[in-house]
Amino acid sequence: MDKLPQAQSELREMDTLAAADSPVHRLHPICKLSVTLLYIVIVVSFPKYDLSGLTAMVLYPVIAYQMAGIPIRLCFRKLRYVLPLVCAVGLVNPFLDHTPFVTLGSFTVTGGIISMLTLLFKGCFSLMASFLLIATTSIDSICAALRKLHVPELLVTLLLLTYRYIGVMLEEVGIMSQSYRLRSPGQKGIHISAWGSFLGQLLLRSMDRAQELYSSMLLRGFRGEFFYAQGSPFGFGDAVFLLGWGIAFLCARRWNLPAVAGSIFVR
Amino acid sequence: MIQFKNVSFSYAPEHPVVENLSFSIQAGESVGLIGANGAGKSTIMKLMLGLLQGTGEISVGNIPVNRQNLSEIRKKVGFVLQDSDNQMFMPTVYQDMIFGPRNYGLSPEETERRVDKVLSRLGLMELKFRHNHKISGGEKRMAAIATILAMEPEVILMDEPSTALDPVNRRTVINTIRTLPQTKLIASHDLDMILDTCQRVILLSHGNIAADGDTKDILRNQSLLEKHRMELPLCFQRRV
Amino acid sequence: MHMADALLSPAVAATMYAATAVTVGTSVKTLRNDENLAKLPTMAVTSALVFAGQMINYTIPGTGSSGHLCGGMMLSALLGPQAGFLSMVVILTIQSLFFADGGLLALGANCWNMAFYGCFVGYYLLWKPIMGSKLFAKLGTKATGRAKIILACVLGCVVTLQLGAFSVVLETTVSGISELPFQAFVGIMQPIHLAIGLVEGLITSAVLVFVYEARPELVMDAPIGEAGLPSKCSLKTTLIILAVVVAIVGGGLSLAASSNPDGLEWSMFGNTEAGYSENMGLDEEHYGLSSGAAEIAGSIQEKTAFLPDYAFVNSESAAGTTVSGLVGSVLVGGAAALICVLGGFFRRRKATV
Repeated sequence: MDKLPQAQSELREMDTLAAADSPVHRLHPICKLSVTLLYIVIVVSFPKYDLSGLTAMVLYPVIAYQMAGIPIRLCFRKLRYVLPLVCAVGLVNPFLDHTPFVTLGSFTVTGGIISMLTLLFKGCFSLMASFLLIATTSIDSICAALRKLHVPELLVTLLLLTYRYIGVMLEEVGIMSQSYRLRSPGQKGIHISAWGSFLGQLLLRSMDRAQELYSSMLLRGFRGEFFYAQGSPFGFGDAVFLLGWGIAFLCARRWNLPAVAGSIFVR
Repeated sequence: MIQFKNVSFSYAPEHPVVENLSFSIQAGESVGLIGANGAGKSTIMKLMLGLLQGTGEISVGNIPVNRQNLSEIRKKVGFVLQDSDNQMFMPTVYQDMIFGPRNYGLSPEETERRVDKVLSRLGLMELKFRHNHKISGGEKRMAAIATILAMEPEVILMDEPSTALDPVNRRTVINTIRTLPQTKLIASHDLDMILDTCQRVILLSHGNIAADGDTKDILRNQSLLEKHRMELPLCFQRRV
Repeated sequence: MHMADALLSPAVAATMYAATAVTVGTSVKTLRNDENLAKLPTMAVTSALVFAGQMINYTIPGTGSSGHLCGGMMLSALLGPQAGFLSMVVILTIQSLFFADGGLLALGANCWNMAFYGCFVGYYLLWKPIMGSKLFAKLGTKATGRAKIILACVLGCVVTLQLGAFSVVLETTVSGISELPFQAFVGIMQPIHLAIGLVEGLITSAVLVFVYEARPELVMDAPIGEAGLPSKCSLKTTLIILAVVVAIVGGGLSLAASSNPDGLEWSMFGNTEAGYSENMGLDEEHYGLSSGAAEIAGSIQEKTAFLPDYAFVNSESAAGTTVSGLVGSVLVGGAAALICVLGGFFRRRKATV
């Protein structure tokens, strides 16, 4: 049950990061969202043997993290969510794909090894990019951006409300699990006899909370619409950021930039 | 300002929560609503806001509380909930504060002006863009009051505004309540707070008014309070 | 079961996004009336709770391991399929944004794999029919409701997780990411998720039964009425009996699911063979003598062309265990290496700071 405090502190950390100020923080959320999505799409679209070409893509997160003033190591902790499945899939490649690729002395690098590395890099890179997005953009700006992109009101409102109550619920579940643990020494989790009542209790209480919440919304004139802070409009800087990186990504995808750079020194 | 005339309400006919209740509150008055658990304090507030429908007549500022007038009533009456987490449902304090005014048709600029006015008056400017789940309990309670003040209501209802606060935060909330010029109705078990904030007290018992009068008179009456499952405010208790 | 961005090709990711978007659109349309405005806070609070509840470990009796909660089935049982789906989408979005659990690009696929199956398939195919059926009618209102909830939850979670796991395999394979043959991948994923589904189903049903006992009106389609006769068998016994039944049923299901692709392979193989024998027949008709040679050539061709596949199919279980063993050991090795590297990285960083 140690996941709960961890989730709470992670959530708080993300909020703190997003509340900071930097050139990246000040960008329009739609701009950041587009760049991030474009980046991930391009990273993922690299062919499985194009490891050297893919490495050029590391430059965007590295540069953007520096611009945002966020230490890059923060995002690596999140890798534990991404790695398991990627590894499970990627790590079998070397055993199944024996196409010889490069021979380094007596060791032959097979296609499987290359494709495995490519896969792992893709996983890391896309994680770095999406972490950067959320570490520099608050949930309300993201929701405001989603509304501007015509994502249905109901879904965006639900996202906003759910995000708000995740903090509350983590706390409630945390208190409950603590009181459970204090009275059940040596147990690692919830015993079968309490499977239903543990979350069930909280669920019943949450229903009452939802009722209160709805009253509070009605009392302030709720008619299905939420309002967001008026951010600055999509400016020149946003356009430059979007276009610049867009072109850079496309170039990196079209030409193998590391190979080009390498060929200057190696003849 | 507030009129209750023969109001009754019950969830099940055999257990009336509020029975044949009549009272009135003048504009600018501060009234404490006290009584044991289940005496009907919250029910009265919910009836006033049209969240519950009973029988009899209720009016606020000469507007009868009924389905047609709901939005007008709710614009006039602000309700500070007991659990600020239920009141503050948006991610940031700012978003919560603009929610009411914008819903009632205020322009973004006017809303912005109101938000700043309320926050600076309560000395909460630094909370403006803070996240609701990251501010302390005391700050949250003050912010909840601010969201209601941003709607500029004529009447403020408060449900247990001083619970679960440390002494300093409690004092801050009390002092804030004292400076509010609006008509106030405060339901609480914190009799010392009632003593500090209200001139008049209505003592409820099983949905009926057991006593209605000057705060000091009622809160000094030990036998009356004990009869209704309460005790003297701490400041009137003789230390042993 | 959260897919990462790296496991999908852009085309597959876009397709899954489109499928999810359409489902979101229709769900929003269904819910778009004032009556459901009141549902919004309930949806938000419930999905926040499910999110938090997913972090709790539930001890599985008799084993050292623990299970977790399955969101989709529970949300659609409490909120209805459309609202449940939207809530799941929101949960998955927050997981992908704030916890990097599942990627941004893979969000569409994740919503489909977990939310769509869990909410719509689980609700319309299993929950609603079972709750509406006359099953266990003899037990009395409450006990009937309880038994039906358990059955629907366990079956629902098992089936929807099997579908989800199968989709993960399908999406990854179509994306051309893995060298792992389709059958082997399916052979690993389906049984794992059978076990997970079972436990998730039991946890979900335990929670829903609790809610049903306290406030029956909160559970969709559940029988409401006077408290019926006291139930004959306790909740625990029912749970155990059902677990056994479902293990058998689910095992069959999973087997069918994992043998299905083999069937596909077989039919492809069969077709080619048919084509080949047609050729052979031609040969025989015209050149009676050389038919032997043709046969030999044919058998050689058959061997070279299908031998690897054949061998794999025949010894699938053996190959399956070898592959999973290898994956397991490599995983451990990889994790260890990673920890070392990261640890060293941080130490050096701290030293320099």
